[in-house]
Amino acid sequence: MSEVILKVNDLKTYFNTDDGIVKAVDGVSFELEKGEMLGIVGESGSGKSVTNLSLMKLIPSPPGKIMSGTAMLDGVDIFKMNDNEIRKLRGNRIGMIFQDPMTSLNPFLRISTQMIETIMLHQDKDKSAARARAVEMLEMVGIPNPSKRINDYPHQFSGGMRQRVMIAMALSCDPEILIADEPTSALDVTIQAQIIEVMQELCRKLNTAVIMITHDLGVVAGICDKVCVMYAGRIVEKGSNDEIFKDPKHPYTQGLIKSVPRLDRPSKGRLYSIEGQPPNVIDLPECCPFHPRCEKAMDKCRNTYPPLKVFGKGREVSCWLYEGEK
Amino acid sequence: MSNTIKTDNNKMYNELNQPVKGVSLWLDAWRRLRKNKMAMGGLVVMIVYAAIALSAGLLPIYSFNQQVLDHQYLPPSSRSAGELLIEQKVELLSAFAAKEERELNKVELGQIEKLKERVATEKKVLLTGEEILVHQRVYHLGTDELGRDLLARIIYGGQVSIMIGLVGALASMFIGVVLGALSGYIGGRFDSIMMRFVDIMYSLPYMLLVIIMMAIFGKNILNLFFALAVVSWLTVCRVVRGQIMSLKNSEFVEAARASGASTRRIVFKHLIPNTMSVIVVYTTLRVPAFIMLEAFLSFLGLGVQAPYASWGVLIHDGVYAMTTYPWMLWYPATVMTLFLFSMNFLGDGLRDALDPQSKNKL
Amino acid sequence: MSKYIIRRALGLIPTMLIIITVCFFLIRVAPGGPFSSEKKIPPQIMKNIEKKYHMDEPLIQQYGRYVVNVLRGDFGPSYKYKDYDVNYYIAQGLPKSLLLGTISILLAVLLGTAAGMFSALRQNTWVDYTWMSFAVVGISVPVFVLGPVLMYIFSIRLGWLPVAGWIDEHGLKALVLPVLALFYQYFATIARLSRASFLETIRSDYVRTAKAKGLKTSYIMMKHVLKGASLPVVSYLGPAFSGIITGSIVVEQIFRVPGLGRHFVQSAFNRDYTMIMGTVIVYSLILVIMNFLVDVLYGYLDPRISYS
Repeated sequence: MSEVILKVNDLKTYFNTDDGIVKAVDGVSFELEKGEMLGIVGESGSGKSVTNLSLMKLIPSPPGKIMSGTAMLDGVDIFKMNDNEIRKLRGNRIGMIFQDPMTSLNPFLRISTQMIETIMLHQDKDKSAARARAVEMLEMVGIPNPSKRINDYPHQFSGGMRQRVMIAMALSCDPEILIADEPTSALDVTIQAQIIEVMQELCRKLNTAVIMITHDLGVVAGICDKVCVMYAGRIVEKGSNDEIFKDPKHPYTQGLIKSVPRLDRPSKGRLYSIEGQPPNVIDLPECCPFHPRCEKAMDKCRNTYPPLKVFGKGREVSCWLYEGEK
Repeated sequence: MSNTIKTDNNKMYNELNQPVKGVSLWLDAWRRLRKNKMAMGGLVVMIVYAAIALSAGLLPIYSFNQQVLDHQYLPPSSRSAGELLIEQKVELLSAFAAKEERELNKVELGQIEKLKERVATEKKVLLTGEEILVHQRVYHLGTDELGRDLLARIIYGGQVSIMIGLVGALASMFIGVVLGALSGYIGGRFDSIMMRFVDIMYSLPYMLLVIIMMAIFGKNILNLFFALAVVSWLTVCRVVRGQIMSLKNSEFVEAARASGASTRRIVFKHLIPNTMSVIVVYTTLRVPAFIMLEAFLSFLGLGVQAPYASWGVLIHDGVYAMTTYPWMLWYPATVMTLFLFSMNFLGDGLRDALDPQSKNKL
Repeated sequence: MSKYIIRRALGLIPTMLIIITVCFFLIRVAPGGPFSSEKKIPPQIMKNIEKKYHMDEPLIQQYGRYVVNVLRGDFGPSYKYKDYDVNYYIAQGLPKSLLLGTISILLAVLLGTAAGMFSALRQNTWVDYTWMSFAVVGISVPVFVLGPVLMYIFSIRLGWLPVAGWIDEHGLKALVLPVLALFYQYFATIARLSRASFLETIRSDYVRTAKAKGLKTSYIMMKHVLKGASLPVVSYLGPAFSGIITGSIVVEQIFRVPGLGRHFVQSAFNRDYTMIMGTVIVYSLILVIMNFLVDVLYGYLDPRISYS
């Protein structure tokens, strides 16, 4: 059995806004093993990005605050680290890629500056060695003519190329974990597959564990080992890739899978879609937040949040449907 | 929102029984504005000023150009001018006497008695034709070098200043909106010529041009309006053009065009209403700018001319008298600054309320 | 880039020509001349005066003569003060006005940007509130109010600083109040502008990336934030220069600084055509050159600007 490098337990991140307290993440737990790829899936606003920004302590505060929970990285709790320790973590042991490559790179600085500063910060290298490393990384992510292009500014790259630069930058210090926050959502469909492939290949090579955040189940299906499905700030279902896709248990997961267009099966009329919209997570009443959109909703769902039902190692569902099962 | 449920009292709720907000832009903006204490304070002050300026003729104040030469440079007081005159006389004579280390003599006491009598009986026919006991007048904010009531001059001067601010802002707004909207909507050649023109105008030191225009075409209010209007529509024109350009390609305009709406209809029914928020914010912020411009010119002696006053004129007069008669500077300066403050706060608040994502926070 | 600069610099020439032309004809179409206000002058003498100043020639010829002279750096004789020419007054006034304006704009930019930055970093703390209250006051108090008020407090009441006059009489003390009055409004505007801009940049995606890389806050501020956040301030410099010029006219009036602004206002009242033209051309030239420099600076700061 491979070892667990990150164990998040009962993470709660709230935002204090004018309208009330937004419980963006409300009790999230998961484990990440060395070298594996974990997918976190959910609609926008379900709390998946906030979960991972919390792990880097990058929640803008105020208004955001990590209320409780632990995140053990090699036995040390990230949330208890001071600013100095957390800075040594960022970019070094945990790398991060963001959604929009157009805005995530500093438009006023050359790629070389932005890559070299990271490498020199975390590794004992002089400028020319850092530069060599940066060029090497750019080559690995498939930037043509890297020793020349490294002197360009971000606006001289296309969207897909910029995301490659982001990947190269995030992986340049050999992090143990790479957090990819919707890395392909802002890109053309044709580029998406390439970026995913580059990421997957590199991480396998460097033995980096990946947390892949996405709203697109299709992305997760191809590559992730494990999947967490989030809804309204909580994980509603957890399982291995196979379990989730072959035997989804939560009605929300079932709905999500049904609503992915499939080209490998004959179409049966209209594509399925989940009715309604995700709830406002301010002042959520005590209930299963999915019940208004759920086809199988029962009376119980309207009054109490369903408890976690464990079906075996790493296989969990929060739904009243499975209350009676062992 | 789909899936909303209306309940008896017409409030909207979603399925989780959470209230759903109304989405009207103006209602939403008003709610945000109300939360902004400074902006609301500004609004209140502005309403008070407007009320005073509008009802100036009905208020129990003196005429702004009634001169009483006996009452030069009287300090602010709630006592009558006559009492102040007697007091000044007594002080003056006592000072003399004290210098010579003696009591007031008979001649001096006689002078004082005479003044007292004069104060009690002297009458004067005012500009209005009314005859009054002139030394009974009370000058709460003092008088100026011609014995005119400063309170009245500030209020009537405010009338002039506020009017110039409003008319100027509205006029420049009108020119700017029309030209900007046309330029943005028509585009092409017309747009590039317009923008080139605006660019050149921008590179001119326009205040200098205004000063020259005022100096050589004559210093009356009409020329003032003209000179200010000529130079001040540029920014609005640019902003509106930018807005229209970005809206032009938006989906709701495409939809209107697809359903066969005429150009005029699209501009006036779709584009202008959608730029309204920007226009409102800019107009509000233009008002204090215009008042400042006018005051600037008046300060140099090129704006509003006697006997009319504006805040700028009063401050100009105050500067020359401030060494001995500081109230002549303080009152108009305070009144004007308070107004500018309020307008700026209100404008800022409006911008935050109407355009929360605004990037040009100037 | 250098090509762009040259092309942009050549673009200054038509702009200046337009300004000269507009002013020239604007002044000439106005009724009355510099000599019409004086007492009745016998027609023969009037003719002689007009001949002396070439005013009997057709307008277009006068215009041509004037442009040629200006290009040679000769602004002609003053119509009002017959013993001096305009160049003399400009040479006298310009250095004083330039000194005043330069100090004011430098202080406004440096202090304003710093105040904006610290306010943004300490958003919603007393640091922020203090600076921003200063700034709000600055935006609403016009220079012709601030100047006299400062003068009343510090010169008349407290007697710390000279009431009026220039360095030759009072030394550097003479500069304090005029600079304070002139710079405050632009300091205030720049402080507010840069605060908003710093806040926006601090919240930008690329600063989040920089944080996610583990960089120190101070390093991020200097390397990643400062450049982008200062762009709005740079683009405000154009209007600020123009405002400082107008403001200096008032400030020179209040503090009786014998600068270009005083000559300009005087000449506007006297209808001293050549003086008006001369001062306006000098002011415009300063403004146009400053705007050009701002453009170049902007292009240097923002690599996304294309020069094609």
